[in-house]
Amino acid sequence: MKGLTLNCMDRKAEAYELVRRGLKNDLKSHVCWHVYGLLYRSDREYREAIKCYRNALRIDADNIEILRDLSLLQAQMRDLTGFVETRQKLLTLKPNHRMNWIGFAVAHHLNSSGSKAIEILEAYEGTLEDDYPPDNERCEHGEMLLYKISLLEECGFLERALEELHKKESKIVDKLALKEQEVSLLVKLGCLGEGEKIFRALLSMNPDNYKYYEGLQKCLGLYSEHGLYSADDIDKLDAFYKSLRQQYTWSSAVKRIPLDFLEGENFREAADNYIRPLLIKGVPSLFSDLCPLYDHPGKADILEKLILELEHSIRKTGTYPGRSEKEPPSTLMWILFLLAQHYDRRGQFDVALNKIDEAIDHTPTVIDLYSVKGRILKHAGDLVAAAALADEARSMDLADRFINSECVKRMLQADQVGLAEKTAVLFTKDGDQHNNLHDMQCMWYELASGESYYRQGDLGRALKNFLAIEKHYADMTEDQFDFHSYCLRKMTLRAYVEMLKFQDRLHSHKYFHKAAVGAIRCYMKLYDSPPKSMVEEDEEMAKLPPSLKKKMRQKQRKAEARAKKEAEEKNEESSAGNVSKFGKRQHVKPVDLDPNGEKLLQVEDPLLEATKYLKLLQNNSSDFLETHLLSFEVNMRRQKILLAFQAVKQLLRLDADNPDTHRCLIRFFHKVDNMSAPVTDAEKLIWRVLEAERPDLSQLHGKSLIEANNCFLEKHKDSLMHRAAAAEMLFVLDPQKKAEAIKLIEDSTNSVMQANGALGAVKEWKLKDCISVHKFLGAVLVDPGAASRWKTRCAEYFPFSTYFEGIRSSAFSKSAEDKILNTRQNGDLNNHHEATQRGDSYSVNGKLEAFNNLTI
Amino acid sequence: MGARHEVLISLDGVRDKNLMQLKKLNTALFPVRYNDKYYADALASGEFTKLAYYSDICVGSIACRLEKKEGGICVYIMTLGVLAPYRGLGIGTKLLNHVLDLCSKQKIVEVYLHVQTNNEDAINFYKKFGFEITDTIQNYYMNITPPDCYVLTKIISQPQTRK
Repeated sequence: MKGLTLNCMDRKAEAYELVRRGLKNDLKSHVCWHVYGLLYRSDREYREAIKCYRNALRIDADNIEILRDLSLLQAQMRDLTGFVETRQKLLTLKPNHRMNWIGFAVAHHLNSSGSKAIEILEAYEGTLEDDYPPDNERCEHGEMLLYKISLLEECGFLERALEELHKKESKIVDKLALKEQEVSLLVKLGCLGEGEKIFRALLSMNPDNYKYYEGLQKCLGLYSEHGLYSADDIDKLDAFYKSLRQQYTWSSAVKRIPLDFLEGENFREAADNYIRPLLIKGVPSLFSDLCPLYDHPGKADILEKLILELEHSIRKTGTYPGRSEKEPPSTLMWILFLLAQHYDRRGQFDVALNKIDEAIDHTPTVIDLYSVKGRILKHAGDLVAAAALADEARSMDLADRFINSECVKRMLQADQVGLAEKTAVLFTKDGDQHNNLHDMQCMWYELASGESYYRQGDLGRALKNFLAIEKHYADMTEDQFDFHSYCLRKMTLRAYVEMLKFQDRLHSHKYFHKAAVGAIRCYMKLYDSPPKSMVEEDEEMAKLPPSLKKKMRQKQRKAEARAKKEAEEKNEESSAGNVSKFGKRQHVKPVDLDPNGEKLLQVEDPLLEATKYLKLLQNNSSDFLETHLLSFEVNMRRQKILLAFQAVKQLLRLDADNPDTHRCLIRFFHKVDNMSAPVTDAEKLIWRVLEAERPDLSQLHGKSLIEANNCFLEKHKDSLMHRAAAAEMLFVLDPQKKAEAIKLIEDSTNSVMQANGALGAVKEWKLKDCISVHKFLGAVLVDPGAASRWKTRCAEYFPFSTYFEGIRSSAFSKSAEDKILNTRQNGDLNNHHEATQRGDSYSVNGKLEAFNNLTI
Repeated sequence: MGARHEVLISLDGVRDKNLMQLKKLNTALFPVRYNDKYYADALASGEFTKLAYYSDICVGSIACRLEKKEGGICVYIMTLGVLAPYRGLGIGTKLLNHVLDLCSKQKIVEVYLHVQTNNEDAINFYKKFGFEITDTIQNYYMNITPPDCYVLTKIISQPQTRK
């Protein structure tokens, strides 16, 4: 008992001591084991806790408390067979407790014996009386019924499910869920006519729900997975949506969905009708709405012509084409806004910048214009200017948290970490600034911050951020513990089961994937170039004269003591304040002893740490090329040949023509060919496996590696990245051929993309790819001449890029900028500049100006 | 498609959080950079300084300063302007009417402002609201021609019927 209370007071070591003493005194006391288990549970050591509980049960097999606690732990650890057993015991011991029945059913469901679960639920229902449920339990009973029906559906007993549904309709409270469940059953059973009726009823409740439209299309037989329809189908669909539009004139979904499947002239008309009112109203998200259409062939051109026509007409006469009433002046600005985003999407950055600058001239007070200009510059490669613009947008509304976050994101992308921190802190609670972002699990910030540090080479801080994200996911897994008992009590069973399924694939989430990739890259870098170890630092210290050494040590000690004192003071303050406020002690926050992540850098075996994350990635994100690329890199460094080969095979399965796949393949076999003859048994086994697998790889079939490389080059002569990969491999296979490799790259031509004939042609090469080729020329081939030639060439193609120091980027020298006519291109925040420019051409015009208080 | 919307013109006060909007407007409308005292006065004048929004876009502003005079308080209009594409829609009228209403409710004795002598349109605009030219100042402005200005004043008598 004393141990338990001590545990709650944060004196854990003493608590454990006491409990162990208690156990020593009486090994047969189930209470002691119980308490021991509780202690472990509060420390999150769930496996140990389960062991303790089992021991307690051996002594006292029918103790309800222990059984209940054990079942919660088993659910948490997904020990499903154990869970079923425990729940069964609980049920036999106390059959009049509703929760035990339900818990048993859920246990079977999770253990994949859905039919058993159904039986149990039916048995439970049999024990209820006819006038059940009483009024205050109707929701819960309804939930249970819906759960049972969804179980029936999952197990495939569709007819039974439908019967159940109709029988129990009066008792189910959630009518919307009832309808949705009914309609999904009907569709699966093929009763499309009835399904259609119910979908129409659902649509009348919510005409903006895309799922209902999809379902209705399915019922009419007009649905296709990939959006490919025959001309007939398109006509039918068109008529169908027109009729729906008569019914639901205020719904936006009914107007937007036809844009997806219409083609040609029909598409143009529909798009015209869709866009016009939204431009008048001034919807900033119009472009994001239309964005998916750009992937459909031909639609981008139609849209471009359409918007240009609108712009032209408004400029000339102030009206839309074919209408006579004048449009409000804001419409022109929104059209320019839309056009700028359009050109940005198609890669014509200078045209886009012209349009957005026009829009800014027209109405300089609209914040969205500055955000979009920043985005255009970011795509064009000028990250510093983009960050400056984002800051300008932010200053126009200091109370808007979204703009603040966007500004922080851009600053991190431009590697301005200190500034970003200061800006982010404007919106956090006072007194706890930096930790607040961590406590709120603000993962985008930690990700962007980690990636920025990685780019700058500060691996310690980068690792700190990535590992913090991993900790958040661990916390999420922990958080589900309370729900095991709560959901059973509240009967929210469908949501509960879904949550458990979600937790099972928690680590496939995008942010975790990015964080794990970042962490693995950091560890690989650590392995490749280890930081100065403590030993070396001590050696350096030894070289200094003793007086200096003493001073340095004193300084260090003082700094540590100061930090500790500050932390203690802070803790005292907060706890003192909290005790007076709430009357109980708040959980003391641990001081961050390693703010710069230096301890993380001193890890003994970085590759071992990396493998931990790699395993998680492989289990959860195995369809991403990146996962296997990293797996290959790590395993090559660890000399684990077969694992590396596995990675190569996965890469080939996912995308055999990708330049990265080719690189890995060639490098792997190059290394294998150069390894010495197998000596130990293990090595001989590996050899044999490889020999057996090699003929299966079509790329290498019957060719030497060099020939395979040439084949690959021939197949993909026109693509820059493929040529670069082939060149790299040429160099790897035969270091003498450096000049040839360079020639291969420099001969690549940057052709014009087929697409459009509108304002300006768009080249094929992407900025990202050119940067990686440049790095390759500099670092791997070590040829500064070639690297600088490449740089000047790319500076022409990407005039805005700060990396290549193009003429229009902010990295270019100040004097050169002044020579350029349109100085506003560089995102300069100089208001004077604009004002004086304008002042020259400014005449006293307009109706409503009063010049007051002119300052000199 | 769709009926013609009635476009809303609304007014909103100036706070330190949206001060930048006022600065952007002034940069676009006037060839002069106003100093910090101007913005401090605008913030201090409370309800008298407003931003005008046309369909939720900030397009105009009126900035005032309250001054003590014997006999009471008077209002000095520092700037009043609307972005070029949005003129002629009644926004300026709305801004000025707002200030005049406030004046009649708060026992302000007079409202005055300066206008450059050749700014015919502005002079006619204010005359419509009952302002009169009470004075001329030579060489008031430094960098533009003509450098002279008129002082337009309106005396508010309580209660005032709105124009």
